[in-house]
Amino acid sequence: MKSGSGGMTPTQITGLFLGIFGLVVPFLLPLGTLSFAGQIGLGIFIMAAIFWMFEPIPIYATSMLVIFLQILLLSAQGPMYMDTSLPVSEPVELQEQTWQIPSSALRDDNTLLVAVEEGETEAIPVRVVERNGQHVIVSSEELSADSAIVTDPGHRLVDYKPNSYTDYLGTLANPIIILFLGGFMLAEASVKYNLDKNLTRYLLSPFGSKPRFIILGLMLVTAVLSAFMSNTATAAMMVTVILPIIGQLEPGDRFKFGLALSIPIAANVGGITTPIGTPPNAIVIAALTEYGKSISFTDWIIVAAPLVIVMLLFAWWLLLTFFPPSTERFNLDIKGKLNLSPKAIGLYVIFGATVLLWITENQHGIPSSMVAFLPVAALVTGSILSKSDIRNLPWDVLWLMAGGISLGIGMEKTGLAVWMISGFDWGAMGYVMLILVFGLVAVAMSNFLSNTVTATLLMPLVISLHTSGVMGESFNLLITGIVIAVACSLAMALPISTPPNAIAMSTGIIRTKDMAKVGVVIGIVGIMLILAYSVFYWPLVTN
Amino acid sequence: MERSDIYILCIEDEQEVLDAVVRDIEKLEEQFPIETANSAEEAREVIQKLLEDGKKIGLILCDHILPGENGVELLIELQKSDDTYPAKKVLLTGQAGLDDTVKALNEARLHHYIPKPWTREELQKVAIDLLTDYVIEQEENILPYMGTLDAEKISESIRTRRSVSDE
Repeated sequence: MKSGSGGMTPTQITGLFLGIFGLVVPFLLPLGTLSFAGQIGLGIFIMAAIFWMFEPIPIYATSMLVIFLQILLLSAQGPMYMDTSLPVSEPVELQEQTWQIPSSALRDDNTLLVAVEEGETEAIPVRVVERNGQHVIVSSEELSADSAIVTDPGHRLVDYKPNSYTDYLGTLANPIIILFLGGFMLAEASVKYNLDKNLTRYLLSPFGSKPRFIILGLMLVTAVLSAFMSNTATAAMMVTVILPIIGQLEPGDRFKFGLALSIPIAANVGGITTPIGTPPNAIVIAALTEYGKSISFTDWIIVAAPLVIVMLLFAWWLLLTFFPPSTERFNLDIKGKLNLSPKAIGLYVIFGATVLLWITENQHGIPSSMVAFLPVAALVTGSILSKSDIRNLPWDVLWLMAGGISLGIGMEKTGLAVWMISGFDWGAMGYVMLILVFGLVAVAMSNFLSNTVTATLLMPLVISLHTSGVMGESFNLLITGIVIAVACSLAMALPISTPPNAIAMSTGIIRTKDMAKVGVVIGIVGIMLILAYSVFYWPLVTN
Repeated sequence: MERSDIYILCIEDEQEVLDAVVRDIEKLEEQFPIETANSAEEAREVIQKLLEDGKKIGLILCDHILPGENGVELLIELQKSDDTYPAKKVLLTGQAGLDDTVKALNEARLHHYIPKPWTREELQKVAIDLLTDYVIEQEENILPYMGTLDAEKISESIRTRRSVSDE
């Protein structure tokens, strides 16, 4: 969130240099068991994290840079790994269990690395019998004549099997990205034909003219729309709805703070409701799917919606308590007329069919990402969206998510993620404590960083806790992932926390301290709710 | 409020009138610095200087009668220049004849015509409306202008243009 004009601020310049330094620093430090590829991965991770924090370049640019560095430095076809293979040789049997091996293969701790399969080695202890220049004679029961002994134990292919570069590039066509593309195109068309505004008009009408119910209506409608559209576009639209109401208030009336805050809160919280509600959900779902814990559109709603509803009702009560309404009634008049042109009607049909197919995924079993191509294809086939509309899609967000997914793949693949969680006794922490810590860390980070970035940085750790098994039986990958997604969306204490917050703050109606006061309470209550749901409710609705 | 690099230029030969114009739109000055000129010649110099410093001109309020020159001619000239073409142009006038008015509309693509005397509210509203259009047309990040300018129009533009996206 910064303007594109002008030069870099001192913070950005600091970030630029720190980030570049971060890329090389893993090669300057002794990092114990981290493989060479892990060091590259760590460099990319540190650089990305610093760039995302200080924003010397836009955050989507960092994501694209991550993918570029990964295909360049980590992929099988990049200059680092093309034309290389792990140097191995077979031992020469001199007598029973006594072998002659190249001396370079013997490591300082008297072990040998034997390649088990591609990307995997096993350390075998040996007893040195005799050193003989180029060769060493060792004895071992575990060696056999066809053991593939690694002759260069420091080689960059030890314990690393590079992915094809297409795996990193392919993240842009990851099913979850396609799901978002479908959502983006529906949203684009909705804005074009004013469906979002007209829906708001209809949905708000049952809430009458009493201020406390108007605010409830505004929050529910905002949440419902942001569950399917971008939180930001929803917040911008709702701001145009509340400004005329605020105009009816006396200048000193504090109720306007509540009105203006209700929009970003509901937009942020509403995004939790569905997989396409907000980008952090995509990062989490992509990572979970990669590890066999896919979650359907329907199941996500079953998991998330009850929390969203409680959160919204709590926020409603909180706003009314902090900023009680002063007038008896409001005149809520949203201008607009339902567009009944053939194209608009086409949109309504496509919109309705897509959403229906999404939320009933459990009944018919067609994956939501496949359904997402229905609006993609139908909206352009019917000329409901034009070429310029397609160009207007938020491609930056798609790249941001793709970069996040790609970073996660690299961190897992290089062993970086497992290395990062090693050295801490996670098992002693206990599952509930772990959920609490992840929730707290995610909310805290996400208040200052982009929600998507927070999910990107935390998700590989969650996956590593799963694959390494350090947490034991009690660990539930699916629920821990959901905790991350939900917690990232519950950070809203500062104007920079989310774009909807920035929009609400930019109206000049609210003060930072009001936003902080409400946001901190929501964050704390949110973490408590997450904890309660992950202990009592989510285990019931996930397998 | 952070100062932007978008300037308001007021061109008026009578100092009291110029002061009145500046006073009437002073609440915009926090974000949009105001520059003044007493003649067309001075206006050209000011514009030249601002453009050299990498600044932009968002709004030009110009008197009809300037010493030795016609305000309408100046506005036409600025309309034809690439640098000042995007600026919103307002003609302040006591008594412009039909010919001049038509010329201003057709050739200077005048955005607003304010007859003297004007009220502060009127001038403020015109300035806010036109600067809102200017930032929506010219600026990439329009959020910072929401507090000073027309917030409803700017949010509407965020909604349709997606200049701010979810992160």
